[in-house]
Amino acid sequence: MRYMIIVLEGDGATAGPPTPEMIAAMGRLNKEMLDAGVLLAMEGLHPGKSATRVTFTGKRRKVTDGPFTEAKEMIGGFWIIEARDKDEVMAWVDKIPFENGEQVEIRRVAEAEEFERNEVTAEALDMEHAFHAEHVKPLKG
Amino acid sequence: MKFMVIVKASAESEAGKMPAPDLFEAMGKFNEQMIDAGVMVASEGLMESRKGFRLRFSKGKHTLIDGPFAETKELIAGFWIIDVKNRDEAIAWMRKYPFTEGEELEVRKVWEAADWENAGAPDIVIEEDARLGAKETAQK
Repeated sequence: MRYMIIVLEGDGATAGPPTPEMIAAMGRLNKEMLDAGVLLAMEGLHPGKSATRVTFTGKRRKVTDGPFTEAKEMIGGFWIIEARDKDEVMAWVDKIPFENGEQVEIRRVAEAEEFERNEVTAEALDMEHAFHAEHVKPLKG
Repeated sequence: MKFMVIVKASAESEAGKMPAPDLFEAMGKFNEQMIDAGVMVASEGLMESRKGFRLRFSKGKHTLIDGPFAETKELIAGFWIIDVKNRDEAIAWMRKYPFTEGEELEVRKVWEAADWENAGAPDIVIEEDARLGAKETAQK
């Protein structure tokens, strides 16, 4: 099963870049995940002040630039890993080198096989399946 | 230049409901356009937060909090990673998305090699990132 581990940043407006020490500690965890063959994807995101939001109302699109001071939880980055079950995910999450009240959110990634195939969905699901078959593979160090 | 486009959750996504047939079809066509244009790097949907959980880290202690989570508007329901020339192109793509009911997409720039160097990341991290980046490009 695939899980997304999302790093939540507490303050949307003021969260800054990671320190070199944190980057190095994360690097060690990433290498462990790579070596175990469980890491499917990972990215770090630039802080919320450089984010852009698009809101869709009918045919209108409103584009707003950050920072978004009302946001309590901006996303700082994520990993996507392959794990047998919640216990295995937890074993990985426990190794994240956070110590100061940081939060991560763990979510199941939807699998195309779990959606209902019918005349409406079949084409989109086939395309998604084909894309995933080609692009979703464990990253190698 | 890589961007993550985040689809925020809604009452429907949190109830585990599929989008209505028209919207589902339009979403599929949009994804196909992005793949054909060579800008799609990744595209995933997340299951409702009821099936997820959070962990809060303190020195020596982790606190587990099971979903669901109340702040629907701050939850992620899905995302794309796209690779485009610049932010304007990312936004130009996303304006075409077939949403109509007040939904929101958030566009975030993804850290890439030059960013790591500027942040004073140790060499091993820059090399690792470059190796992964090369792998991702090869897989596209």
